[in-house]
Amino acid sequence: MSNTVLTVARDEWRYWQRSRLAQSVVILAFLLAIASVWVTHTSVSHSIDQRQHQQAESEAVFEAQPDRHPHRMVHYGHYLFRSPPPLGSLDPGIDAFTGNAIFLEGHRQNGATFADRKQASGLTWLAKLTPAFVMQVLTPLLMIVIGFGVMTREREAGTLEFLKVQGVSPFVMLAGKGIALAGAGMLILLPLFLGVCLTLLDGAAVVPALAFLASYVIYMAVWIGIVLLVSTLASSNSSSFGSLVVVWIALCLIVPRIASNTAGVLVHSPGKLETDFAVLKQLREMGDGHNANDPAFKALKDNLLAKYKVDSVEALPINFRGIVAQQSEADLTKVLNDFAEQQMTQQADQAAIARQFGWLSPMIAIQNASMKLAGTDLENYHRFLREAENVRFDFVQSLNKLHAEGMTLEQDANKYKSQAAKKAATVSADNWQILNDFHFTPLPPTQRFANSLLAMTQLVISLAVVFGVIFYAGRRV
Amino acid sequence: MSDVVIQATNLSVDVQSKQILKNISFQVLKGEVLALLGGNGAGKSTTIKTFLGLMKPTSGDVSLVGVSVPTNPDVVRKQVAYLPESVMLYGHLTAIENIRYFLSLSGKQKSDEDIAVSLKRVALQSSSWHQPLSGYSKGMRQKTAIALALLRDAPILFLDEPTSGLDPVAIDEFNRLINQLASQGATILMVTHDVYGACHVANRIGLLRDGELVGMFDAPAEGNIDSEVVHKAFSQGSEA
Repeated sequence: MSNTVLTVARDEWRYWQRSRLAQSVVILAFLLAIASVWVTHTSVSHSIDQRQHQQAESEAVFEAQPDRHPHRMVHYGHYLFRSPPPLGSLDPGIDAFTGNAIFLEGHRQNGATFADRKQASGLTWLAKLTPAFVMQVLTPLLMIVIGFGVMTREREAGTLEFLKVQGVSPFVMLAGKGIALAGAGMLILLPLFLGVCLTLLDGAAVVPALAFLASYVIYMAVWIGIVLLVSTLASSNSSSFGSLVVVWIALCLIVPRIASNTAGVLVHSPGKLETDFAVLKQLREMGDGHNANDPAFKALKDNLLAKYKVDSVEALPINFRGIVAQQSEADLTKVLNDFAEQQMTQQADQAAIARQFGWLSPMIAIQNASMKLAGTDLENYHRFLREAENVRFDFVQSLNKLHAEGMTLEQDANKYKSQAAKKAATVSADNWQILNDFHFTPLPPTQRFANSLLAMTQLVISLAVVFGVIFYAGRRV
Repeated sequence: MSDVVIQATNLSVDVQSKQILKNISFQVLKGEVLALLGGNGAGKSTTIKTFLGLMKPTSGDVSLVGVSVPTNPDVVRKQVAYLPESVMLYGHLTAIENIRYFLSLSGKQKSDEDIAVSLKRVALQSSSWHQPLSGYSKGMRQKTAIALALLRDAPILFLDEPTSGLDPVAIDEFNRLINQLASQGATILMVTHDVYGACHVANRIGLLRDGELVGMFDAPAEGNIDSEVVHKAFSQGSEA
């Protein structure tokens, strides 16, 4: 790098140092970034501890239940908690909106609950000033405030012409100004770098963590390029600032909204009410699993009677009610899973369409790259839902198996007749040790990295396009 | 001719379909000072900007030491010092910082002593050397720019209204400086409204009127200025 380029860069820094506005903005941006990293990391670390504790407690409470009828335990239910991945402390992604706990019970697939955003009061939004939000949305705006005049200031003062006469080429000027802006950008990114180091200590995988940092460096470079380009093309400071604010509004606010609306229009996703009615309609056709005499289970009954060569369910060596519960849960789960998969496919398709807008807006690209690398994107949320459903099905079917094998049909049928009958229709609390320790893990690091490649490519292409146009514009300075 | 340093050959410059310079030709020899006089809009500044490579000729050519400016602007700029009419220096920097910055950009290394000598030569008060230029008067800025031009050690100087904003004492000092530089071999093209100043420092005077070079004559010897002749020619140019 030539000395001249560095001289221009140093002078720009000297200007910022002497200009109170630029100096204040750089300091503000740095403090904002460091505060967001510290606050979010502390808050997420606390959440991880809390959720791990809650998970252990939930399992302990379930296992500490007294002797009971197994179906009561099916409805007693169990909670699963999702601990955020280490990089989630820098980008909570959609976790803040989707919820982090699921109540598991028989015959139902509940959605995740306790989303941070739903619990937050209006005044606590500042507490959710995440590093990702600061870097993706606020930092570009601050870079605009710092750098809108890097070239127009020279043009307005006439120094640009004077510099050219001194033999300083426009490219040297652009490179010097770009390096100065990059220095400011790196200073603002420094807290994120420290944050990534913290996540590595917390156990984040190296490849996604480094790619996460690299994606923000590229994103920052894209914005530096945009600021430099507009300042090069604009004729005055005011037109440069105005144009850059319009670009920021378009890229950070309007295009993301257009992306989500377009995705919603192109891939129709039925509302919750519509889906619930459709699910209910199908479930009604399947029969009531609580009623062993429901005609829907006649075939099951006939098969069992034939299999055990007996002529009544009372003569079966197993509790027919438990078998019905098992069969009913399996059928019901298939229907629920079909709907859930359909819904997840629609959401994934919508997300895929919205992701394509990353070719237009680097903000969409960094948002996707960041969430995918952090493991807080839609795909990881779906992974959690699927894992939770597997746990739910296994634990409910384990209880249904106890229901079928742990008591006779007669005991089961007479359980409300007396206290003694009720006691006879229970199984030992020792049987509640059916829960495995649940620890949600996001996609493997290599998979997360691979999934982020589209967004990373969008960022790199944006960078190349912006600097290509700067090169073209530089020839006309 | 090997002594020709600055040369315009059939130079025409159009800006937005308007012809600013119309087929003008002249040359300035090594160690010579040529002053171009003319009224507003005569094309004086355009002539200088074309030599600096800031504007391109529509036809004809301009060259410095035989090198065509439009095709090699970066090569010729290394030999040029330019003093603009409206001084383009940084308001947030002091005089010394401005000089250091611009010298550094043009690859010149000068000691603190050299800079101090130069600032003393242009009679800029030493108490202001470390003050930001934003607090300078136009004359003080002009002196800083002159000091910078001197420090560049350029063999060719382009001066656009160089004495604009200077007090009479500073003008005298400036004229002495120009003569001194010319005697040391510098080639100078200046454009000015200041008829008397031009007559004091220039070897030859060219008259520009509406983009045409309408006259070129030797400047009268110092103390023997035929001001009436120059005035008459200048006034005709302004009226046209």
